[in-house]
Amino acid sequence: MTVSTDSWTEQMRRGGLELAILLAVAPGTRYGLEIIRHLQELTDLVVTEGTIYPILGRLTRDGWLQAEWQASAAHPRKYYRLTSQGRRRLRLMVDEWRTFAAKIDRLVDAADKGATHEPL
Amino acid sequence: MNLSDDGESRIRGYLFMLESSLRTFLKRDVVADAVREVESHIRERVRDTQPMPNERDALNRLLDAIGPPHRLARAYSAELAADEAVSSGRLWQTARAVFALALNTTEGFAVGVALLCGYLLAASCLLVALAKPIFPDNVGIRWVNGEFRGAGWELFLEPGTVVTHGWWVMAVCAVVGSLLLWLTHRGTRRYLRRVSERRLRAAFGH
Repeated sequence: MTVSTDSWTEQMRRGGLELAILLAVAPGTRYGLEIIRHLQELTDLVVTEGTIYPILGRLTRDGWLQAEWQASAAHPRKYYRLTSQGRRRLRLMVDEWRTFAAKIDRLVDAADKGATHEPL
Repeated sequence: MNLSDDGESRIRGYLFMLESSLRTFLKRDVVADAVREVESHIRERVRDTQPMPNERDALNRLLDAIGPPHRLARAYSAELAADEAVSSGRLWQTARAVFALALNTTEGFAVGVALLCGYLLAASCLLVALAKPIFPDNVGIRWVNGEFRGAGWELFLEPGTVVTHGWWVMAVCAVVGSLLLWLTHRGTRRYLRRVSERRLRAAFGH
């Protein structure tokens, strides 16, 4: 993979990370490390673990997430959950994502069909 | 994994570095909450790590996964400082946000330099205006033997210098300085609002 392709992949991952975080907390409350583990199990979106916390902080400030400290056996954990505003935003983002992905898929299919050499 | 005293010191050192870096950009309560959350993350990772013969290596790997404290602090600052400055409008938070953006992005650096020039030029004009009542003979348009030598404030005048139109220069500098200050500050706030809005638009894909 070339350097420019690496950069493109990185940009795409970063763009999708915010949506991925919101999707991770959509089913219920989760704390930071739980979100990271969930993303690592299903995807490879997380570049460094530290990336998640500033984004979680901002999403909370924007009113899309609500954070609450809860005491646990070992140490306190900060749990996040979607607010009603966050849920509305998430629905919008998912719709946008699906529309965009469908458009790109159509382009890939068209490029495949029209390919004179080997398919993509 | 149970940590030794050295391991504990390493974690405390990391958190101390993170706290110090975050304090450059963010409010005290935001910093305390962020550090507490990162500490919670580290403690849980340590608890889940199998005991290893080389604790130092295990801890290094764990902290590497989070990233160096200064990089983590920069990520926090980029995410929060611009929004904070836009919502509060306070001079200190605005300066902090511009500084954070200048450190993080090429565009931020270019805008930061331009804004710094604007503020310095405005401050210079206002300083000339303020100097007139204190040094009435040193502010104005300077002539030597009828030859124009410059305008503004000159503390040490060369022999034979005649200073004219001092009050006019003061008035012009006061107006130009105030206008420049207002325009630069307006530009700063508009830039920060644009950064904030761009981030929100990017999140929704609009």
